[in-house]
Amino acid sequence: MTRTLAARLVEIAVTLILMSAVVYLLIGLMPGDPIDMMIAGDPHMTSADAARLRALYGIDKPLLQRYLAWASQAVQGNFGYSRSFGLPVLSVLGPRLLNTLELAGLAFVLSVAIALPLGIWTAAQPRSKADYLINLGCFAGISAPPFWLALLLITLFAVKLGWLPAGGMADLRPGTSPGEAIVQKLRFALLPVVTLALVQLGSYTRFMRGAMIEVLRQDYIRTARAKGVPERAVLWRHAFRNALAPVLTILALSFGGLVSGALITETMFAWPGMGKAIYQAILDNDYNLALVGLLAATFATVLGNLLADLAYAWVDPRVSFAQ
Amino acid sequence: MIRRLLCLALVLLAFPAFAKDELVIAMNQAPGTLNPIISSMLAKSLIINMTERPVTAYDSTWKVVCMVCTVLPTLDNGRARVVDLPDGKRGMEIDIELKPLMWGDGVPLTAKDYEFTIEVGKNPKSGVSSSEAFRRILRFDIHDDRHFTMTVDRVTFDYNVFDIMALPAHIEKPIFEADPASYRNKTAYDTQPANAGLAFGPYRIVELVPGSRIALEANPTWAGDKPHFRRIVVKIIESTAALEANLLSGNVDYVFGELGLTLDQALAFDKRHGDRYDVIYKPALIYEHIDVKLDNPLLADRRVRQAILMAVDRKAICDKLFEGKQPVADSDVSPLDPMHASATPHYAYDPPAAMKLLNEAGFPPNATGMRFDGERRPFSIELTTTAGNRVRELVAQVIQSQLRQVGIELRLKPEPPRVFSDQLNHRRFSGLAMYAWVEAPQGVPRSTMHSEEIPSEKNGWSGQNYPGYANPAMDRALDQAERELDEGKRRRLFAEIQRLYAEDLPVLPLFFRVDPFVIPKQLMGVVPTGNLNSSTLWVEQWRWQD
Amino acid sequence: MRSSTPRQLIWRRFRRHRLARASLVFLAGLLVLSLAAPLIARLRGIDPTLTDLLIRFAPPSPQHWLGTDDLGRDLFQRLLDGGRVSLLVGLAGALLSALLGAVIGVVAGYTGGRLDSAVMRFTDGVIALPLLPLLIVIAAVDPAKLGIPAELAHAESFSVWRIIVIVALTGWTTAARLVRAETLSLKARDFVRAAQALGAGPWRIMFRHILPNAMGSLTIATTMSAGTLILLESTLSFLGLGTQPPAASWGNMLTGAQELLQEAPVLALWPGLLIFLTVIAFYFVGDGLQDAIDPRAERR
Repeated sequence: MTRTLAARLVEIAVTLILMSAVVYLLIGLMPGDPIDMMIAGDPHMTSADAARLRALYGIDKPLLQRYLAWASQAVQGNFGYSRSFGLPVLSVLGPRLLNTLELAGLAFVLSVAIALPLGIWTAAQPRSKADYLINLGCFAGISAPPFWLALLLITLFAVKLGWLPAGGMADLRPGTSPGEAIVQKLRFALLPVVTLALVQLGSYTRFMRGAMIEVLRQDYIRTARAKGVPERAVLWRHAFRNALAPVLTILALSFGGLVSGALITETMFAWPGMGKAIYQAILDNDYNLALVGLLAATFATVLGNLLADLAYAWVDPRVSFAQ
Repeated sequence: MIRRLLCLALVLLAFPAFAKDELVIAMNQAPGTLNPIISSMLAKSLIINMTERPVTAYDSTWKVVCMVCTVLPTLDNGRARVVDLPDGKRGMEIDIELKPLMWGDGVPLTAKDYEFTIEVGKNPKSGVSSSEAFRRILRFDIHDDRHFTMTVDRVTFDYNVFDIMALPAHIEKPIFEADPASYRNKTAYDTQPANAGLAFGPYRIVELVPGSRIALEANPTWAGDKPHFRRIVVKIIESTAALEANLLSGNVDYVFGELGLTLDQALAFDKRHGDRYDVIYKPALIYEHIDVKLDNPLLADRRVRQAILMAVDRKAICDKLFEGKQPVADSDVSPLDPMHASATPHYAYDPPAAMKLLNEAGFPPNATGMRFDGERRPFSIELTTTAGNRVRELVAQVIQSQLRQVGIELRLKPEPPRVFSDQLNHRRFSGLAMYAWVEAPQGVPRSTMHSEEIPSEKNGWSGQNYPGYANPAMDRALDQAERELDEGKRRRLFAEIQRLYAEDLPVLPLFFRVDPFVIPKQLMGVVPTGNLNSSTLWVEQWRWQD
Repeated sequence: MRSSTPRQLIWRRFRRHRLARASLVFLAGLLVLSLAAPLIARLRGIDPTLTDLLIRFAPPSPQHWLGTDDLGRDLFQRLLDGGRVSLLVGLAGALLSALLGAVIGVVAGYTGGRLDSAVMRFTDGVIALPLLPLLIVIAAVDPAKLGIPAELAHAESFSVWRIIVIVALTGWTTAARLVRAETLSLKARDFVRAAQALGAGPWRIMFRHILPNAMGSLTIATTMSAGTLILLESTLSFLGLGTQPPAASWGNMLTGAQELLQEAPVLALWPGLLIFLTVIAFYFVGDGLQDAIDPRAERR
């Protein structure tokens, strides 16, 4: 059964709408409301103030009504204000998204740069000692809890050795030279990027290895070998080019897991990104921000899946864009 | 070329190191909106206190001082008067004279700014979090740019406390009048934070990256003491582990004591890096306590509550978990408060006495040592606390362990803060609830102790008397203390309140939390206040001395 | 000469995988120790929940084998208690999600047609959701608002079962897809046709004939997912949304350790190390099962 591009896009829209309703419901099921927490911190606030604020923010209305009000504004492009920042939601999430892209992008580049050659190399010598050890390493990467890795790295490099800052982003003064700016940014980004990359490295390497093994079994490889092409050339020229497809696939799929994956790292290193913003917004009961953030993350995932399928179809013309 | 470099090197070496004129500070929470009256977050007041000042504030000795006014209005100097109001009640008139201050864009700070601020504060659509201070002002008479008189609708002893921050009318008024209901989303404090006209204090904001960083520079229009730092950068680092590591490595110079490291971290700094940092432990007006649900039949008898308090070794908790830095509380009045009565009954750690009281109250132990009530039901109560606060959880676990020693089973129920406040506001907790109040100096505990303030369905769940305490003697003392202008008489009334509090124990007092200030030895002038008015109200006194 | 049963063949092949063997031993040992934890505590004369403020952060000693934590509680016992929670969540969660997924997968695959494509679209939709943020939202929901009586919600074991249900809600998709794929390929096989010809009803075919043949790959997937679920539970507990203190969980032990990196970095080492070892052990066992059950698949 073919699902055309148009059908996929409709599906994406439907998914997002359903997601928004479900998440709004879930957030509504969370206990208490932000006004309760305000009272605890302000000795001058009275219950009359609380009632007034609840009416003002519309928190006293039934959930369905609030959702419909939000939805009708959202389709017009107005995603509302973030209560905890006092700014429009999009202007909060925009810079945060860029920060997450920065972090995830660097981590992706780092892990692919290592996973690609590693995967190819081990695919060329399956069941060898090196292959065995690297596979072990991959499993280790997938099994280590990211927050524990972050704690270990912070303890070693920031607390004990004091080489690197533990958290936050670089504070660039106006007038810093571009070179200096890059160095500063890298200093702050190093630990979180390494943490994120370590976690991804394991699965990427295994993925690359699997893909390469598939490629190496193909007929055209056997033909090349039969023609007398040296093994190294076979490996790096022919097979490598065909490894492009899996790389694109990983890229598109990890696009989706972007926000989820970075959430813990961003929280541990206080990196002001999307994942952390969503997490904070959920805890602070900042409805608008949490909802729009989650929708953005969902959109990224489904978009990633779509792009992955498109990429595969583009790279391998034998695969038509059909399920 | 080499010679040129050598010359340069010699020149650089010959000059003394430039005096440090930029300070990098970190805090662990992002301020929400920067508008001074829309919400009262500590993170925001730390920043705003550098760019503006309230009319009056409590200083580090907990005395009221003038920040923007010239002379503190008192009954003695005639600038405050008790008057009869048209409706027959009595109120007060307060005269304020403003210092000659100027907003950063050259417009002077005038009485019109305060008139506008009060108008916004009274408007129910503006989103102000606490409107009480504004609503009590009945009349605002302007005499000239720097003189005005306010008429308030009640006689209270804290008549000259005005921690109102002015809004610049010349910027905010057009925004507000265009649509009061959306003012809180359109306020210039958030849409143009770097607008010079929003600051009349020693600093003004020059750059704001929401949730990440705020940069301030010295404000040329400030008429007071010139600040020593030309530039201050406040970074928001929301992880205490990262905060600590950044401080140690020198990436930040100072972490705000009010909103920074935990007590454990500060204690570690003291031990390990005492040569580089001074650590000041100033008890704050944050009262850690346990509300008791007086409706619970197990807890209705006063002797049981006293026994529970005596079974917990608060002093040991303080000594071992806080290294003696957080003083044990006997009531909701801090030992540093001028109204503190030392004659208040104190309960020392005494498990045998506690067990005796429990026996007398009708809860004898069985063979295993655990207690039962008259109907053979086990003496088991629940303690709810806010999850995520490590220290509170530790204390809860110690209490559980110590109560078991006297035969009481305590079930711990940590809840996320939102669940917790929801349960509290509707009095849905079943036994004990442990949390902290933020207080004001010399605060009268009316909303927490008065019988009219018990939240119930009938009164729309208003009030904060969660234990459900109703004692006519306490009600009388509370009503009188608020209105008593004579300090001696007030002190006696406060002593009465504390005595009743400690005898009846509707609330089990634990201790007053400490805000640890970890200050690098080169940073001078930081004075912790211990109350809600933060140390940045005196930021112009801070300086760096290598 | 006796020929080996398929089971024996599988077992023999599994044993050849050294890491899988070692992991199985490790997991079995952990299981035994955690279940026996109360007994061990009694033998050592230690009350694992007793707080003793005089011996905070004590170094390892004959009394306290790994030292004490920030409340003076024995660290070794706490780790064992945490192990109980992790293993319970991992195994029960994996089984629950496998059950759920298998039922959905076999019904969808066997029925085919519109039901199948609807279910698959739904599954794809669920897979598309951002996992961790959504779990956080679900974990933060107030049980009272869902109508769960307060009595039940306050029980100690409630938070553990809540986590099991929550993590199982994420794992079922893998099992569903897997079982559906197997069902599709098995549907056309002769023995199924024969059973249909004999008049067997669809439920009987699904559960007596098809599912047992999918067991192999289902077992592998379930084992691997146990590891993933343990990681999820520890992440949620670390964030404060999973197992609540004072109940010990490796995740929530790390929450407190964050602030003590200077004071007692070792408190951050042990819980994380155990999570790591347990998860990787499950993965190795799964890998070993993969080799044993389906050696033709060129995965290793």
